[in-house]
Amino acid sequence: MFTTGSKLLIGSALASAVFAAVYGITQGGTLGTIGLVSAAVGLGLLAAINAFVRDANVSAMDHEAFANAAGAQATARRSLWPLLMGLGVTTVTLGLVTTRAFFMVGMIAIFASAVEWMIQGWSEKASADPAYNARARDVMVDPVELPVAAAAGAGVVVYSFSRIMLGLPTKTSTVMAFAAAAILVLAVAAFVGYRKVSKPTLTGAFSIVAVALVAGGSFAGLNGERETHAHETAVDLAAEGNCGAEETEADEHASQTVAAQSNVVAEVLFDGSSLHADVVGFDGDFTELTLARSNPSNLIFRNESSGHARLVLELHPDEEAEEPGPEQVCTALVEPGGAQLMTVRLGRSSLALTAGGGENYALVVPGSDASLEVIVP
Amino acid sequence: MTEFVRHSTTTSETDVTPTSSSASTPRAVRGAVLLALATVALSACASNAAQDTWQPAGPDAQKIHNLQWPIFLIAGIVGVIVFAAVMFCVVRFKDRGQPIPEQSHGKTWLEIIFIIIPAVMLAAIAVPTVATVMALNKTDDADCIINVTGNQWWWEFDYPVDANGMICGYMPAGEAAPIVTSGQVVIPVDATVVIRGTSRDVIHSFWIPKLNGKRDMVPGRVHTWRLEASQAGLFAGQCAEFCGLSHANMRMEVAALQPDDFQTWLDNQLEPYAAPAEGTLAATGEQTFIAQCARCHQIDGLTDTEGELVISSPEQFVYSGAAPNLTNFATRNTFAGASWDLLNEDCRQDVWDASPEEFGEKYLAGVTVDCLNEIDLKEWLRDAPAKKPMYTDPALLDDTNGMTRGMPNLELSEDQINELVAYLLERK
Amino acid sequence: MALIERTQTPAFVPATPSSSYGVFRRPVETTGWKSWAFTIDHKKLGIMYGVAAFVFFLIGGLEALMIRAQLAGPEGTVLSADVYNQMFTMHATTMVFLFVMPMVAAFANYMVPLQIGARDVAFPRINAFGFWCFLFGGIFINTSWILGGAADGGWFMYAPNSSVPFSPTNGIDFWGMGLQITGIASLTGAINLIVTIINMRAPGMTLMKMPIFTWMTLVVQFLLLFAIPVITVALFLLMFQRVFDASFFSVEMGADPLLWQHLFWIFGHPEVYILVLPSFGIVSEVLPVFSKKPLFGYPLVVFSGAAIGFVGWGVWAHHMFASGLGPISVAVFAVSTMAIAIPTGVKIVNWVMTMWGGKLRFTVAMMFAIGLIVQFTIGGLSGVTHSVAPSDTQQTDTYYIVAHFHYVIFGGAVLGLFAGFYYWWPKIFGKMLSERIGMWNFWMMIVGMNLTFGPMHIIGLQGQPRRMYQHTTARNGDGFFNITFWNAVSSVGSLVLGIGVLIFVWNIYHSHRKHGPAPLDPWDARSLEWMTTSPPKEHNFDVIPTVGHLDEFFHRKYEDRGTGDHHDFVQVATAEEIMAEQEANAEQHIHLPSPSYWPILLALGLPIMTYGVIFSFWLIAVGGLVVLLSMFGWALEPHTATAADYDPPPATGTELEVVSHD
Repeated sequence: MFTTGSKLLIGSALASAVFAAVYGITQGGTLGTIGLVSAAVGLGLLAAINAFVRDANVSAMDHEAFANAAGAQATARRSLWPLLMGLGVTTVTLGLVTTRAFFMVGMIAIFASAVEWMIQGWSEKASADPAYNARARDVMVDPVELPVAAAAGAGVVVYSFSRIMLGLPTKTSTVMAFAAAAILVLAVAAFVGYRKVSKPTLTGAFSIVAVALVAGGSFAGLNGERETHAHETAVDLAAEGNCGAEETEADEHASQTVAAQSNVVAEVLFDGSSLHADVVGFDGDFTELTLARSNPSNLIFRNESSGHARLVLELHPDEEAEEPGPEQVCTALVEPGGAQLMTVRLGRSSLALTAGGGENYALVVPGSDASLEVIVP
Repeated sequence: MTEFVRHSTTTSETDVTPTSSSASTPRAVRGAVLLALATVALSACASNAAQDTWQPAGPDAQKIHNLQWPIFLIAGIVGVIVFAAVMFCVVRFKDRGQPIPEQSHGKTWLEIIFIIIPAVMLAAIAVPTVATVMALNKTDDADCIINVTGNQWWWEFDYPVDANGMICGYMPAGEAAPIVTSGQVVIPVDATVVIRGTSRDVIHSFWIPKLNGKRDMVPGRVHTWRLEASQAGLFAGQCAEFCGLSHANMRMEVAALQPDDFQTWLDNQLEPYAAPAEGTLAATGEQTFIAQCARCHQIDGLTDTEGELVISSPEQFVYSGAAPNLTNFATRNTFAGASWDLLNEDCRQDVWDASPEEFGEKYLAGVTVDCLNEIDLKEWLRDAPAKKPMYTDPALLDDTNGMTRGMPNLELSEDQINELVAYLLERK
Repeated sequence: MALIERTQTPAFVPATPSSSYGVFRRPVETTGWKSWAFTIDHKKLGIMYGVAAFVFFLIGGLEALMIRAQLAGPEGTVLSADVYNQMFTMHATTMVFLFVMPMVAAFANYMVPLQIGARDVAFPRINAFGFWCFLFGGIFINTSWILGGAADGGWFMYAPNSSVPFSPTNGIDFWGMGLQITGIASLTGAINLIVTIINMRAPGMTLMKMPIFTWMTLVVQFLLLFAIPVITVALFLLMFQRVFDASFFSVEMGADPLLWQHLFWIFGHPEVYILVLPSFGIVSEVLPVFSKKPLFGYPLVVFSGAAIGFVGWGVWAHHMFASGLGPISVAVFAVSTMAIAIPTGVKIVNWVMTMWGGKLRFTVAMMFAIGLIVQFTIGGLSGVTHSVAPSDTQQTDTYYIVAHFHYVIFGGAVLGLFAGFYYWWPKIFGKMLSERIGMWNFWMMIVGMNLTFGPMHIIGLQGQPRRMYQHTTARNGDGFFNITFWNAVSSVGSLVLGIGVLIFVWNIYHSHRKHGPAPLDPWDARSLEWMTTSPPKEHNFDVIPTVGHLDEFFHRKYEDRGTGDHHDFVQVATAEEIMAEQEANAEQHIHLPSPSYWPILLALGLPIMTYGVIFSFWLIAVGGLVVLLSMFGWALEPHTATAADYDPPPATGTELEVVSHD
């Protein structure tokens, strides 16, 4: 249905666009990219105009052609696009004096209505058969229109819903989320049950929900998010030097079991007064622990005492280094009978720590005298 | 449907397949196959291969061997039966114009028998298999425990001191301290050695074929594995899990020593550092070592000119955070991930071929000036990455914060190399 | 005021235009490149699968030859360590994912609808989409060679060696995302074929009257359906680890690298059966035809195939006997591995018993089938030796394993595929392949493979590990027949094998130049796919056959004239007569789905996105747009092309014209 001339221009426009993309990605030159993009835009415009006037190939002198020419018979169908474009222009103007957002929305409306308008116009010149023309328009636009509309719709729903959820207090938002899900399920169930719901009812219901969602989203978005509270983890504790005997927030959230870790270097046991290690491959308890240097080593700490306990590894970092690193690493507070995993990688040998008269690595439990020396050969 | 009488041959056979003539054409090729198969079956394999899995030299490898040879035998017999059945069919049931055979799907009792026979055979294999799996994973009877750590692309061995101050079940003469060595692990003969293995970077696999099967060394996990030798000697091994660029150059050896020899070796390892005599080439080498090598390589007891202990910090230069400990470098026979020998060809053969009785003495002699494999060692010092592929090119180190994986080219001068060789030769 | 009136045009009748919407016309061409690029015909797709897979086979073979060249002598210097690691990674990846799997898909796509008397697969456009995913994914992986180096972590890609610090090039990114794309092909193919086989069988074809190749295909598709999601998950973890700095395999953060091994082998072991079961199906078709007997114990072969499909899920950890799983796990998996040997053994026994008492014709297809029995038996028995876990700790990661799985995959899967080539070539292309050249092809390949892989048993048992870019004289032993010698033999063998494969290429060229059309039923075959023309018409069958027997075609040609226990089969019809009868009763108004642009376009968007992940996030947007538009275009497209898509419209409308065949 495209005329020869418009095919040529469309092809050139596409080629320029592709070249622009290829050039932009591979060469990264701004000037060349701008040039090629401009060419693509210009050619696209020409192509659109040319397609619209069909190479201007209906000769005014040709009586028969004049009689049969699509333009002579086609009745223009009703169109939403002039309205949308008008709204767009207004919004752009509004945006210029108020906020950027209106400007953007207006530009999008103008762009969308221009494209749609052009294609509708084009399709109505295709033949004298309105049904055929409508189909031509659908074939042309649907693959673009539907995904864009779906993506935009989904985006609006997701964004509005997320603004509402983030605006409400934590507990309320949980209730709201479940309520929304429940209502959705019930509504679908009801619809499946009574199929007689009329189309206007359905449309009305959807419209109300959509308007409510957008309105709620806009309101919540303008109001801003609720304050969120970040949980501390055991890693934060070490960074803040908070590995004491008292319970912290991170401990409150810690799991008291260790999952899916086997063949760890050793299990470190705390009986209330002393620490000892059960080392893989060795018999008996150890009162000192050897860990290979620079090796990521997993330890499991088991609290066999009657109180809460936390395992802390004193690192004694090199004070003269550029980044000395943390003073200690620790597990979360472990309940009686609970367990925690500690993964450590000790880069410096014990010799490096003790050579200058410093202290060696040691595992300790704050609040007790228990200590276990860690030797790194 | 109309009926009609057919010729004895169908159209398809006459049209298409001159079967007999086509099969006879490559008769020469068929002969070649039989010859090739016969060659494979009859020929001897390599004798004296260093990593032969069929020459066990310790009780663990022997257990595996006792299990595997009957299974190879059974598999061979089953194979021969199947081949014979196929050959019989091929010869006996060739199309010679016989009538169309019965269109039957077979007999149920026959099929049940064909299921039961392999099931029984496999059940018979399963019992000793499970028993051997359990026996090989036993660790509670260990006489000696050695920590093994894989690195790209070398093995580190360290001997921990136990609660009684003993190392590997032996009481050292002097003060006990962990011994750290690499490339070659020394174990006592007839002792139950259990290794505790892990890795600093990627997965490696520890494998001394003549002593036991493989065990992967996985970072973050500690795996135990038995290592028992029933005679003195050297046993070769090779990292068996693909571990990156120089996987092929990641080897290891086990030196099994008689108890007395092992005690000698142990005491020697723990002897305090002996500085080279002043004014010698080695003394210059010591300073070169401190300047060039001690960043990564530890020599226990080495002190600088101010008397301070020199402590290496490989964690700042090497991605795995470790480099071989060179304290007793010249007591080992290999270097660079056991990829090259420190002994020249003659001395190497002498040690490897030594009888179990003579082996201890020859091994404990270490590397002498006369035996040194100067060529490979100097090539290594001149440009290590050229000799063994490693990641030392700065362009490739963005993802490791500039740390190398392996030893970089230090661009040493020939003089420096000579000094270092002289210095290292005294490390025993 | 004068009224100016325009002259009315006389009685205008609006005419629906004869031409269509220009570029959006459906690609209904039946010749030329468009007829291939946009086809959704299962036969054309099958052929394209086959051709593409064979090209990848040649590429993978070239990689294998490079590997053998490097290892021909000790301290080889043909390849650097880096390139060698890429070479063996890509050799395995190419052979497994880009040759055997798609070649199996080629046979399944082409043969399954024909064997069950269907006109096409259930979802023809998805079928086309699958093929293009495979092809583009395969090309995507292979472009890594010229874009900074291929993956170098081995096809098993064990963590943490696959993490960025240990493999800083983009090779593994290409590998992981390329396999995701080819995985889409396998997954969609699996769903498609399962639905096809379950729903679209000809009337009367109960499951137990279904040809054995279709049965094995069905089992394999179920394996794929459950295995591909596992590797997809694993590859996503890998991608997130590498591209987005996730820590699934970061040991210093407490991860356990064995997670990857479990995920990989839960996929990887069923994968072995995915590779080999279709070939078992092919030889189970070939052996009965050339023995002139039905498959011995057909129900048992079916059930053993299904049993392998089930037990195959419970043996993955036998790849990890040395990984340090603990003795209980090792013992359990050793026993389950032994158990799976039983159904496999059943198949071998049944093949031998099929030949037993038969009337054997030694065509090339038959030779390949017999070759499979012998070679696969060797591979199977060496497999039993490493189900014995303690002895496996000596054998795993040595060349003994390399020998084992090449006897299984080359001796099993590939020889079966070659049997299929020779057996079905006249069906697919309407030309016979030369039997004389074929015999050379067969024997060169058999000699080549035994010379290549046979010595690897010795090399491995004498202690040479796999994946080493060099082997050294120091560890190769003494004597003339030392490891150095056997490595050299293996390298020579690989050349012979390569020549054997090239002879096949020559055979194709020669046969298509010299041979006339193939007869309708060259092998006196037994199953439905031979009850149509060669090559089959686009709509496969003029009349959908009604099935009364397993081996329906045979029973239409032969009748049992015996009484009681005495059987006496007499030919009552030729294939030509059966064909003529069908054409006389040809069904009218056969409806076939129409070709489409969208499958290839949608598939094209995927590698653009994955290039984007590696090079520039803008490319993801471009690829994503292509994917999105293609999806909507696809969804909005009518199943059948409208009359307007034909230019000019055919006189008979869009229904396919049924022409009688002569």
